[in-house]
Parts: sequence; C-alpha cells; structure tokens
Amino acid sequence: MDKIELKNTLPMVFALRDDIESDVWHKDVTFERGHVYLVEADSGTGKSSLCSYLVGYRDDYQGIICFDGQNIRNNRVKDWVEIRKRSLGYLFQELRLFPELTAYENVAIKNNLTGFKKRKQIEEWFGALGIGDKMHEKVGRMSFGQRQRVAMMRALAQPFDFLLADEPVSHLDDENGRVMGEIMMDEVRRQGAGVIVTSIGKRMMLDYEKIFRL
Amino acid sequence: MTLVWKLLRRHLSLPQLAGFFLANLLGMLIVLLGIQFYFDVAPAFSGNDSFLKGDYIVVSKRIGVVSAMSGQNSAFSRADIDEIRAQGFCKSVGAFTASQYDVSASMGVEGMGYMSTELFFESVPDRYVDTNSKEWKFEEGDRVVPIILPRSYLAIYNFGFSQSRSLPKLSEGVVGMLELNVRLRGRNGKEGVMKGKIVGFTDRLNTILVPESFMDWSNAEYAPDAGVAPTRLIVEVNNPADDAIARFLQQKGYDTEADKLDAGKTTYFLRVVSGIVMGVGLLISLLSFYILMLSIYLLVQKNTTKMENLLLIGYSPWRVSLPYEVLAVGLNVLVLVISLGLVSLLRGYYLDTLALLFPQIEGAGMWPACALGIVLCLVVSVLNVCAIQAKVLSIWKHKG
Repeated sequence: MDKIELKNTLPMVFALRDDIESDVWHKDVTFERGHVYLVEADSGTGKSSLCSYLVGYRDDYQGIICFDGQNIRNNRVKDWVEIRKRSLGYLFQELRLFPELTAYENVAIKNNLTGFKKRKQIEEWFGALGIGDKMHEKVGRMSFGQRQRVAMMRALAQPFDFLLADEPVSHLDDENGRVMGEIMMDEVRRQGAGVIVTSIGKRMMLDYEKIFRL
Repeated sequence: MTLVWKLLRRHLSLPQLAGFFLANLLGMLIVLLGIQFYFDVAPAFSGNDSFLKGDYIVVSKRIGVVSAMSGQNSAFSRADIDEIRAQGFCKSVGAFTASQYDVSASMGVEGMGYMSTELFFESVPDRYVDTNSKEWKFEEGDRVVPIILPRSYLAIYNFGFSQSRSLPKLSEGVVGMLELNVRLRGRNGKEGVMKGKIVGFTDRLNTILVPESFMDWSNAEYAPDAGVAPTRLIVEVNNPADDAIARFLQQKGYDTEADKLDAGKTTYFLRVVSGIVMGVGLLISLLSFYILMLSIYLLVQKNTTKMENLLLIGYSPWRVSLPYEVLAVGLNVLVLVISLGLVSLLRGYYLDTLALLFPQIEGAGMWPACALGIVLCLVVSVLNVCAIQAKVLSIWKHKG
C-alpha cells in the first residue's frame, strides 16, 4: 500500500455542523508511504474516529477513504484481516493489550500471527525501552507508561506500509519518548513505511514532514 | 494458538460445561440405546420367520355352516381383489395359487420303512417371500423343488406322531437334509417325479409353499385347462394394528388368522415405544445443545473485548472462533464416543437374555447406534460451528 487518500471525508457526527475548520475533514488529504505526518488535534475533533476509520473498525463517515485508489468501504472481512496483518501497524490510544497475559506474551501473540520478529529482537526492544525486567510481568500490573511501550512493540511486530500511532507518548517522560521514537523510526525506515502520529498535547519528537490540524 | 486459547478460556464455566456434557451424554445414550435396542430386538418378532417381508395378513372368506352347506363360492373374484387393493391400509395384494393336480410325497431311507402322504402345494408371488434367493428358485427342467413348511407340521410330527410310533424326533436342520420324493399326477394323465427339498419353516403361513415359477410351470404342465380363482389372499399392510383393517374384514365377512397379526402388532408397538424413548432422548439432547449454545454465548459475551482486540490486531474471525469450535466439537465427539461405549456395555446385558429367548436371531451389530450417533454428532457440531462463527462475526460488526 503506497497511498492513503481522504476525499471530503467527515465523521457523521459532524454532519450537522455549520462550519468545519480542519486540515483533514472535508478536504482532500493524501498520506504517502515513506513520509512522516503529524495530526494535531484538540479533544473532540475526531482524532480517534479518524484512526478507527483507517483501521476498518468503524465506517460512520461521509466522503471517501481510499487505500491505493480502492474505496475501503468495499473491503471485505478478509481484506481487513490482511491489511491489519501485513500493511497497517497500529498503536491504539487505549492500547488494547491483554491484561491477563505477560508483557512478552502480549507482543508474542501478534508476532506468532505474523512470524515477523525473532524472540531475541523483541527482548532487545524490552531492554532498550527500560522494561527488560518486566517482560514476564502481567500487563495488568504495569503502569500506563510501561504498557504504552509494550503496545508499541506489539505494533512493530509485523510488516507494514503505514504505522498509525495514536498518542504514542502521552504517558512517557521525554527520555523514554525519545527512545521509543528511535526504535519506531528504525523499524519504519527499515520497512520504508509511512508514519501517521497523532497528538493532543504532548507530541512525539520526530522530524515531521507535514503537520495537519484536525 | 496456545496464547489465544489462554486468553479465550477465561470465564470458561466448568459447571456449565459439565452440565452440558452430562445432559448431552444422557440424551445421546437414550437415543442410541433406543435405536440399538429396536434393531436388536425387532428381528425376534419379525425376523424370527424371515420368509415373509414386512407386515402382511392372510385373508380368506369366512366358511360358515350355511356357506359350507349351500356350496357358496369361497373364492375371491377380480372385483373383490380390486376392492381390497383400493383400501387405505393396503400396500399390495397377492393371490395364493393352489396346485390343480394331485401331489403325493414319500420319504424314506433306503432299506427302511416308507412313508407316503397326499399333499397340496400353494404359492404366493415371490416378492412376498424373503428367503435366500439361491435356494428359493425353480427353473423349468430342474429336478428339485424348494419347499417351505409350516413349523406346526414339524411340531405335530415331533410331539404327536413320532411319540406314538417310537420314531426319532427331527430337528429343523435334519429335515433340511432329507429329500422327499414328490410325485405329480395331472388330471390329464401326465405323471412326473421330482425331488423336494425343505428349505425352511414358517410360523406365519398355514400352507405348503413352493416358488411361484414352479407353480406356474407345473399347473401348465399337469393341469393346463384348470383355472381357479384364489381362495386366500396375502395383503401387505402399512400397519397391522390399524383398526380399519378389522372393521373392513368384519364388514365384508372375511377371515384372517388373528394371531398372525400379533408379530406385526408387537413390532409396531416396539417401534412406537422405541420411538417415544428416542424422542425423549432427542429432547434431552436438544436441551443440552441449548445449554452448550447458551454457555458459549455467555463465554463469548464475557470475552467480547478480548476477541475484538484479537480481531483488531489482525486475527481473522475464523482463528478467533476456532478455540470455541474445537471445544464444542471436541465435547460432542467425546459424548459420542462415551455413549457408544456405554451402549455397547448396556447392550451386553440384554443381548445375553435375548440370545436365550430367541436363539435363532443374529445380532444386528452396533451399526444402527454408530450411524445415528455420527449423524447426530455431525449435525450438532455443524450447528455449533455456524452459531459460533455468526457470534464472532457479530463482534466484528460491533453488534455483539
């Protein structure tokens, strides 16, 4: 997948508004593979909705969203399964980890599906992100910041053309945020993928090529 | 898979599954035992005398004092036969054909005494006779005629005749080895000698039965001019216990050998009772199926978030539903295997008794229970899998 296009897209809940001031909604926007984008938003401007549309979780929008020119409304279940497995990495804002599994198992459950990373690589990530000692800790007992790092590793344990990171560093200190950004960009560059990062306040420090205000 | 299972087995309720398992086991056991029992026991009533298929009755006109004195005709006319054929209870009608010539049979071992008796032959259409077709056939030119005798003849000989004459008693097997010399003497003066071979005994027909092909040939050969309407009819009926039959016979003044209906009635009631028992079993199975479905729905409901997350990180609905499908199908198969084992165990108890009471019947084997069990298990499993798939897809569509 090389291109994500939004054509005149607008969440249904905004359909009755008199005016929309946004760089994304009701505009034609294109995200291209190999580039780094930031979507900055205030609360309630539809940031989570945008992410949900792109990952095929929701489709309550007007207008058209295309992946490589294909309207994603026509995607079938198996198309979405393939996209989530092979083309689109997604770090959820609400993380969507499994609290009853350990940190490592949370990454492994994804990696078992894709067979993408070696166990050693994952262990190195844990070390680099400063939670090497928490690998076999149940996620339910970890802090939100620690969980965010686990969720990032899980998002990276797959091949992707785009990485969608929904508020990836909201609960991290600057240093940990920087390390996470490095690991993420390493993987992104290795795969030649595009990145779409969202933020409400605290943003991940990256060299953004384009910043959209939602 | 193991990690997915580790996730999805949460909230699995063992008491619920145990409840399903026991209920399903009980239901399955009753159904399978019901059908197995029916197939094991039914031959004791219907297969005991396996020369005649299905349920049938033999109908004749009543011979009363008046009709006997007045020489009233006791034969059935075409119209009579058509009328019976038109009745709702009747599946088919066949006529008894009697020999139109004199028959005498003699039996003797060389050097020993000679026994001879006058006989008659009758035949019914071959499709009413269900015997080994290898033995039950006659072609023109054959020297041997197969014969089926009423079992009561043998009893009369063994317990009456041989007793008083100090003759040896004969078993069915021994009689089967004897050869009769049959002499046929036509009214046209033609004579012939043949060998008769007794191929079996029947409790259900009071006649000396020969194959239809023999009867056609011999009547044409020894009594070419005679053509007599049948005095007895064999009527295949849907259900011998049908009271419409009794009413019709009463109304027309026909006779039937009432006790000959008993085997048919017994099989019929056996079928009804087995049907009821199996119905109860099926009902229990149905309820247990319902328990399993509720239990799995509840499980899916409680694990909805987890399943949604699995779907969002790229697991297909098929892979997410697989653990529950394996669980359901596994339980069904386990129930099937255990209930088949129990059926075979329980069957052992009544088979011994059955073998004592009816030594001549052969066991039907376990195939009825196996076949029905596999079919039931398949149907239930397919329904389970479809329901689980549908449930997971509804989670995909956020309708869970």
